[in-house]
Amino acid sequence: MGRFIGRRLLISIPTLIGVTIVVFITIKIIPGNPVAALAGINSTAATRAALTHRLGLDAPLPVQYFDWIWSTLRGNFGVSISQQTAVRPLVFSALGNTMILAFAGAVVAFVGGSLLGLWSGLRHRSRDGAVASGISALVVAAPQYTVALVLLVVLTVDNTVFPSGGMYKASGGGGFFVLLDHLVLPAVAVGLAPMGVIARIFRSSLIDVMNQDFVTSLRSRGLSRRTVLRHVIHNTLPSLFTVAGLQIGFLLGGALFVEILFTWPGLGQLIYQSISARDYPVIEACSLMLATAFVLLNVVIDAGHAMIDPRVRQ
Amino acid sequence: MSAIELPLGPRPVPPRQLDADSLVARRTRRKLPLSVVIPGTFLALVALAAIFAPLVAPDSPVAGSVAQRLLRIGAGGHLLGTDGQGRDILSRLIWGARPSLLEGIIPVAVAGAVGTALGMVAGLSSRRIHTLVMRSLDVIYSFPAVLLAIALAAALGAGVVNDIVALSIVLVPPIARVAETEVARLRSADFMEAARASGATWPSIAGRQVLPNIAPVLLVYCTALVGLAIVFAGGLSFLGLGIAPPHPEWGSMLNDLNQDLYTQPVLALIPAVMIFVTALAFNVLGDGLRDYLDIRSEAAS
Repeated sequence: MGRFIGRRLLISIPTLIGVTIVVFITIKIIPGNPVAALAGINSTAATRAALTHRLGLDAPLPVQYFDWIWSTLRGNFGVSISQQTAVRPLVFSALGNTMILAFAGAVVAFVGGSLLGLWSGLRHRSRDGAVASGISALVVAAPQYTVALVLLVVLTVDNTVFPSGGMYKASGGGGFFVLLDHLVLPAVAVGLAPMGVIARIFRSSLIDVMNQDFVTSLRSRGLSRRTVLRHVIHNTLPSLFTVAGLQIGFLLGGALFVEILFTWPGLGQLIYQSISARDYPVIEACSLMLATAFVLLNVVIDAGHAMIDPRVRQ
Repeated sequence: MSAIELPLGPRPVPPRQLDADSLVARRTRRKLPLSVVIPGTFLALVALAAIFAPLVAPDSPVAGSVAQRLLRIGAGGHLLGTDGQGRDILSRLIWGARPSLLEGIIPVAVAGAVGTALGMVAGLSSRRIHTLVMRSLDVIYSFPAVLLAIALAAALGAGVVNDIVALSIVLVPPIARVAETEVARLRSADFMEAARASGATWPSIAGRQVLPNIAPVLLVYCTALVGLAIVFAGGLSFLGLGIAPPHPEWGSMLNDLNQDLYTQPVLALIPAVMIFVTALAFNVLGDGLRDYLDIRSEAAS
């Protein structure tokens, strides 16, 4: 198992390198010259050249790339242009909040998707099974920002069942339950579409597995319905894990939009504010954080997959 | 006709319907399912409204009067109300359909062409090239599409063209994957063997044997992808990466109206629901086309 995780981590290194190259290139093609901005309008050509040399901007691009990687690896993400503070604490606290939201969304997606999929898969020949798969088909196409807005309008603006935004009370107080109260609606908004995807895959693989010979043989041995179902579900878990892995990106991406609508202090809001402020160091750090989180989460999912399905470990 | 119909054999057809024309039509053309007709009609109406926006839109999409700001649905002759700057929302919705639809369709078309070409190259050439193409696409593919689109569009700067470029890049890998899977299924087919044996050149095999066989699957897949691209594009312009104000776009309307969520909550739902319904229509159309064309492919589902 340890060897599997190690190998899986090795495989994800090219992806991470690819991501850093993309982010680095985007830094380079951004219009605007940082030297001119730093030195001011009245600077002479000589001071600008000196500054260019001091910042290492006259070095060949590969050298600049490795310099940048090296300082990023040491946790130096630069200084935010709009807030004039170090980028690192900004991005790390936002990343933590985004992870809380994405995790809550994943819980909604997984629990809801499994129940909906179980319902529509086990009763796929009857009407309520069709209703369940209709719900999942509808939910799959719903953009997370639309869901968030509908929830906001229906449940917070007109009648205040849930708080409409933020993570804690405006006064700054509140413990776990206050957080939970603030978390419910954003988590549903984030998790609803992935829930539909999981339900659909779970349904089709349930129907698939139930038609296999081993199920007939289990039934013919007189095993109870519950025992048979346990074997069936165990056999659907690998495909469920594959989908879950694909949904991580969707959960993280959707969380960005939902955060803006629910004023959740995560990476989405940070990116949103940084885009309007043209605060590129922050945007780059956010993309890099999201990419790393995404790649590592995928390793975790794959490890879980390997634990359930021994064939994956080979 | 009798009131009770016997369940014995086909119902006799009245003689006047038995002309050659209708017989041919019934044989060659199956009836389009509702899952194609309904979303198809809806999307055609939206597209027509977008094309003829100057004729259809009741008001100017960019000019408004502050005195008329945030009117309710139906108030003051504004069918869908007005936004925070007093602009007619229905007119903005109609004009906004232009960039919003284009940002869904063009990236899929571009990525469809590039992705299909890459998939065919990978599927038909040597093992080395196959590995090179597919592994480099995997690097992009393993990064979540929404995040990549945001990063690219943010780097390129706000604007419709840049959004289209960003979305096109993001959509190439998934399409190339589907194309490659389909080509791999064909590779060992007898007709391919026959084409190779008869000395057909590589481009001729790709164009005459492979492309017609993978086109239906890709068509279905791309139709559904347009829905996704519209959702992504809406998200990008919601983030402020779309069309420059004051011009309307569904995603940026969502951003505008979200500012006034607490004075007129229902208005913000209009562009959000429009994006949802349009994306849903493309999804349903894709499913319907799959059933109609009778495609059974794991890659496209």
